[in-house]
Formats: sequence, structure tokens, C-alpha cells
Amino acid sequence: MKSSERFKSYFPWIIIIAVIILLPIIIPSPYVISMMVFVALYGVLAIGMGILMGQAGLFSLVQPTWFGLGAYVAGILAVRGILPAWIGIIVGAAFVAVISYIIGAPVLRLRGLYLACATFGILIIAQIAFVQLGDITGGHSGLLGIPPLSIGGFVFQTDVHYYFLCWALCIACLWFSSNVINSRLGRAIKSSRDSEVASKTLGVNIPKYRLQIFILTSVMAGLAGGIFCFYLRLIAPSCFGFALLVEIMLMVVIGGIGSLWGLLLGSFVITWLSEFVHMYLGKLLPVMTGEVDAIFFGILVILVLIFMPRGLAGWVEQLFHLGKRIYEHFRRKLSLA
Amino acid sequence: MSGITSGSIYAIVGICWSIIFLVARILNFTTGEFVMLGGMLTWVFLSLELGLAPAIILAIVGTVIIGIILERLAIRPVRYPTEITYMVITIAAAVVIKGIILVTCGFETRLIEPFIATGPIHFLGASLTPQAVFVIGTLVIITIGLSLFFNRTLFGKALRATAINPDAARLVGIRIGTLKVFCFGLAGGLGAIAGIIIAPITFIGHGIGFMSGLKGLVVAIAGGWSITGTVLAGLALGLAEGFFAGFISPGWKDALALLIMIVFLVAKTISFSPRAKKESL
Amino acid sequence: MNTSGENYLLLDVITLSKSFGGIRALDKASFSLDEGSIISMIGPNGAGKTTLINVVTGIYTPLSGQVYFQGQNITGLSAHAIAGLGIGRTFQFVEPFPSLTVLENVMVGCHTGSRAGMFAVGLRLPSARAEEERVKDEAMGNLKMVGLEHRASDSISSLPLGERKLVGIARALSMKPKLLMLDEPVSGLAAHEINKLVELIHELSDRGLTILIVEHNMPFVMSISERVIVLDQGRKIAEGSPDVIQSNEAVIKAYLGEEV
Repeated sequence: MKSSERFKSYFPWIIIIAVIILLPIIIPSPYVISMMVFVALYGVLAIGMGILMGQAGLFSLVQPTWFGLGAYVAGILAVRGILPAWIGIIVGAAFVAVISYIIGAPVLRLRGLYLACATFGILIIAQIAFVQLGDITGGHSGLLGIPPLSIGGFVFQTDVHYYFLCWALCIACLWFSSNVINSRLGRAIKSSRDSEVASKTLGVNIPKYRLQIFILTSVMAGLAGGIFCFYLRLIAPSCFGFALLVEIMLMVVIGGIGSLWGLLLGSFVITWLSEFVHMYLGKLLPVMTGEVDAIFFGILVILVLIFMPRGLAGWVEQLFHLGKRIYEHFRRKLSLA
Repeated sequence: MSGITSGSIYAIVGICWSIIFLVARILNFTTGEFVMLGGMLTWVFLSLELGLAPAIILAIVGTVIIGIILERLAIRPVRYPTEITYMVITIAAAVVIKGIILVTCGFETRLIEPFIATGPIHFLGASLTPQAVFVIGTLVIITIGLSLFFNRTLFGKALRATAINPDAARLVGIRIGTLKVFCFGLAGGLGAIAGIIIAPITFIGHGIGFMSGLKGLVVAIAGGWSITGTVLAGLALGLAEGFFAGFISPGWKDALALLIMIVFLVAKTISFSPRAKKESL
Repeated sequence: MNTSGENYLLLDVITLSKSFGGIRALDKASFSLDEGSIISMIGPNGAGKTTLINVVTGIYTPLSGQVYFQGQNITGLSAHAIAGLGIGRTFQFVEPFPSLTVLENVMVGCHTGSRAGMFAVGLRLPSARAEEERVKDEAMGNLKMVGLEHRASDSISSLPLGERKLVGIARALSMKPKLLMLDEPVSGLAAHEINKLVELIHELSDRGLTILIVEHNMPFVMSISERVIVLDQGRKIAEGSPDVIQSNEAVIKAYLGEEV
């Protein structure tokens, strides 16, 4: 019994890892590989946001900022030759950890909508800072000349290299987060969202765990940002602002905040959808920027929130339950006959 | 543009946020786009060779209609309403409206001619352009008008009752659905007015809604969501921005408002007396 | 019991006052609990019973007065700190965690008895895994004690009220408390469920737990308590054995108009 349970819980991991490894072999197109790099990186952001909103009940809109901070710190350190690229990524993540601790401690005391407002404010302030501190960050036009990532002697040159690196990060974040959620920490945080008063009186130090989850998700975003800057070789403030926030929210909404796999699915759907919308709408409309794509996605968000509040994953779950009921129904009929 | 002028605009936009938040408990992120629509629609109608007055009226009516459509199509049908769902929906709607205007009107920013083409007016030792007088005058009219409305009319009192206790209001027979639609329309109208009166002073374009709306939110929060508080906070923010313009570069100006909002929000959670801990029932 | 054989004062509540806006919920309320006893607290609605529990467990801070637990002043401590010191409670409306299964609900109670931090659980270190197994077994044991081990993997929302209340007790027991405060444990329960609860309470008391029960159900209160404390309008108006209380004039007057 126990070994079949263990197999069932490992099964999705095995499938996903197999798909990831086989994909570049089956579809060697650099375009597809590159898209999947973004799916992985944005997936990390979606997972972080989904955990904060779903498990912890914290409406924090500041994920893109951690992504950007990680990217800028690693990028700046590399451009100026201060530190090797891969150490820069770790320093970037550490920097993000410290900043998210300093900001999180006071701000996480806010509830619901007010937390959303405050974190939104931080997102915009950070955007302004990225532009205004032009001497360090390169301002509006961005940070240029970021060297490729290298560890030891190995240089990450091709899309495939970054593909495996980013998916390694994504899977690692997924695994770590999944462990945390199914542990004493996960129970503490879920209980604090369900009934703060009961949770407190059972000994859960709610502010402490909220801060821990907050820092965890921000470090994840910071690491993703660090790799992001070496992949793109050029980053600009516009990569880390409101537009990215809307995309991540879309992933969370579509994928459903209930399950981590759903969030990864959300990243896959939205990243690819984004690309298709951009390609096809571009043929129809004269003006084409992210803001025009956004019309489509805005309508999509509204429709999903109205009709599918639990997202795709919730929808898939409902289909699954329906399928199970139909199966049970026929099984009973056949055994009675 | 003087601090009082911009402060007046922040105050009006802040009132738009407050009305919807108090009555419907929704953070309506399309408020900023109402402001943008006011200016842009006026420009659209002006370019159709209508006079200034008809263009303004049509722009206001148009924005009111858009506000009502927003409530009916995107807010009312929500099946599992939570505060955060509504907020995300209004953000999405804002993005849609902004995008549509971008596609139809293009990237360029516009300027509308001032309403009265005379020289500056001198008042209490300061010189203001006639447009600035318009702005401040409009704020005064709106504030007085709203306070009369909320205190003297039955409908206004119904709105206040709903803001205080929605369940009790329902029990007394107040139709909250109708009130919500009204509030969205009212916020649309007021936002459009703000956008129109400021249009001759600053440029208008598809992108101005974002910051205008955000600053209105800051002001509404700092003002404790009340009309008086919002007006005072708006003027204070306008003056503060003017004051700090000398010390910090203009790029950081917007960050100041947001910082104020965050400080306000966090400060409210800190209890200064050691005995007053956060209550939960 | 301390070494000299006298009853040890477990909880000492001294002139506690608490107001909500204009309403005085607690008005210099005082009482104390001896270790190992079963005490009930009764009083008409609005007497301040639940408020008292909320103050003792750290959910509210009192306006004035102190609370001593095992000789230590716990007034003003945070709720989770007080929980860590060994005071457990249940809620009148259970306050379940709907996103957790029944077993997981009970496992939350083991929180103070476990230590694994984020890195240990995130990386599934052996120490974390071992602790998780231990916690699971402990929680299962408590579920068995309330007779619900067969419901362990069910969603707690699917349980009827009586069973949910039992889960609430199992959850509080997981804290290994020295003092357990039950807020209206039998309201909404059927007769056979009440009997089960009486058995459970006696068993817990035999194991050395001090139990404070807030209740309205008089037959239940009178049958199970060693001592009864009566609250009215935020202060203690009587205290004694069940028989004494039943014939106390002040108590009867406080309940005038209510069914006894």
C-alpha cells in the first residue's frame, strides 16, 4: 500500500521531468525552446504568487519587483565585472531576501486589499527607481552588455543550455514549495488563512510564518530574475512592472491558485497565448504594443474570473470528478447486471 | 501647474475612489481611466467639429455610460465575489479601456485649448491662469454639491446608510444594486470632469489614467475615505509635490505619493498604546 | 499537586476588565482554578464568559487586571505564546480549517510541539520527515481518543457539528495543554454525543488535565463539575459546588427570565 502511494505521488514529477528532458529532442526548434525558457522563469513567478495568494491568503502584488531586483543586481555586478555571473545571481537573491524582509515585516501586517495597495505601491516605486537610478541601471533604455552566464569553465551559450538551467530552477522551486506546503509550515500558513483566531490559539506565530513564505517566494523570484538577465543579455525597467504583474495575475487566475501544477500550466498557457496574440493581432491592428495585447488579456481575465473562478486547474478537477462519477455509475450498473 | 491645482484634481479623483469603496467595498482601478476618458473623449468630439460645450457634455455622458457598463458587465455577474476578485477585474477593465483608446486614438498626446483665452488672473497675491481657477472652482462646486447631496437628499442618505451598514440598508429596503450602478456612474462622471478641466493644462493621452488614478487612491486612503479628508489630503499632496519639486528630480515625484500611501497604511496598523492590540472576534 | 499535597493554583485571574466601545464586557472579574479540577463557568448571555476565555488565551488585551498561569504573569502576551505555555481551548463554533483534512486539523495542534523549520521541510531532511511521522501518529492518537480515527482523511466540512466539535477537542489536546478551556462544547449535540463527551472529559481529567467548561446546558454542567463559577455582567457573582449554586439567590436572579 505504501509503495503504491509513494509511486502515485512521484508519478506527476516523473512525467513532467520526462517531458522536459525529451522536449528539446523531439522539437529541436530554437523558437520553441526559447519560449519554454520563459515558461519556466515566469512559472517560478506564478508559483510564488499563487502560494502567496492561495495558501497564505496574502494579496501581494510585488513579485515583479523581486524578479527585477534579482535581475538588476546580478546584471550590474556582471556588467561591471565585479563578480562572476553565477555568484552575482546568488548575491542578487540574497539582496532580494534582505529587502523583502525589511519591507515584509511592516507591510504584511496589512490585510487583504490594503496589502494589495501597499505592495502595488512598492512595485511602482521600484519601477520609478529602476528608471531614475540611471547611472547604475541604465535607466529607461536598460542595462546593456550583460555577459553570458558561466560557471567554472562552462559558458551558457545556446537556448538549450538556458532551457535546462531554467527548468532545473523551476522544478526545484516547485519541489521545495510543494514540500513546504505539505508540511507543518504549510499547515500553519493555511490554518492562519482559514481561521486566524484558531490558528493563533493553537500556537502558530502567524506574522513569523507569513514573513517566511513571503521571503521564500521573493527569493525564488530573485533567482529567476538573475538567470533572466543573463539569458536576455539586456534588461529594462519595463520588463518588471505593471505589464508583468498583469501577466502573472493572469497565469494565477487561469491556472487556479489551488494547485502548484495548475500554476505551471497557467504559465504555459499564458506565455504561449501571449505570443500567439501578439503575432495574430499584429496582423489585424495597426498599432501593436503590449498595451494592445492587453485588451485581449484583460477581457480574458474578466471572463475567467466571472465564469471560472477556480481557473483551469479547478475546471480540470471538476471534469475529473465528473468523469469519476460517470465511471462509478457505469461500474455499478455492470456489476449489478 | 500650481500645487493647489494638481491637488484639486487628486482630490476629485480621490472622491471617485471613496464613493465606490464606501458603498460597494470595491477598489475600482478604472477610476484613473475615467479621468483619461474625460479628456480623450472631449478631444475626440472636438475633432468631430462639435463645439467645446457639446464636446464636454458628451464626454462626461460617455464616461458615465462606460462606468455603468463596467458595473453591469464586469462587476454584477461575478459569482463568487471577493474583494480581491473585484479589484483584479477592475484592473483588467482599466487595461482594456486604455488599450482600446490607444488603438482608436493613437500614441500621441494631445492638448485642448483652455476654456477661456484670457491672461492670468491675480488673486491674493498669486497669479493663476483662468483654467486653474476653473479647476479649483470645480472642486469647490463638487465638494459642496456632494455634501448637499449626501446630507439633504433621500438618495444621498441611502448611499450613506449603505456605506455604514449594507445589511441593515438592505433590510430597510434600499436597493443596493441600483446604488452600486449609480456610484459607478457618478464616479465616471466626476472622473471625466477632472480629466476635462485639467486637459488644457497638462497633456492628455491614453496613458495618463494610471498615475492620476493611483494618486487619487493615495489621497482617498490618506483621507480615511471621507469627502473632507480626501479633499484635504488631495490638496496636501499637491502642495507637498510642489514643495519637494525643488529638492528631488521630477522623475521621483510620483514615488513620493506612493510612499506616503504606504507609510499611511502601515502607520494605521501600529498601535501607539501598548494595550490596544488588534482585536479579532 | 505539588509536593506538599495541596492543590496547586493553575490559573489565577485577578480583577480583569475589558470594554468594547461603550460596552463593559468584563468588570473586575476574578477567579482561580486549582490544578486537576473540572470547573464550569455559567452565566446568562452577555455575562462575559467567552470574553474571559479570549482574554486568558491572549486574543484580547484587558483594560486592567492580570492573569497568572502556573505562577507566571501572562497578561498581554501574544496568543501563540500563551498557547505554547500550555493553555488550550475550543471554540463555540469550532473555527475549523476547511482547507485541511480532519487529521491535518488535529496536526495543527501539534505545532508547538514540533520544530522543523523551512529548510528542513523544504528539503525533506530526515529530521523533518521523522518529526512529521511522529506528529501524524500523535494526532491520530488524539483522533482515536475522541473516536474519529475513521474520518482522518475526510474534509472537515463534511462532518456534522457534533463530530466537528470533537475534532476541535482533539486539536486542542494535541497541544498537550495543562489547562483546557471548552467553550460551549455540548451546544448542538445529541444526547448520545453528550454522553460520549462526558466520558471523554472524565478520562482527560483522570490524566491530569485541568478543564474549564463554559456552558449553558445546566444538567450537563451540574453533572460533570466539581465546582461552578457564575458570571453576570462581567463579574463573578457566585462560586461553589453545583448544589450550592443551584440554590443561590443571586444566581437565580441573574437567570430570571431564562430557562434553568
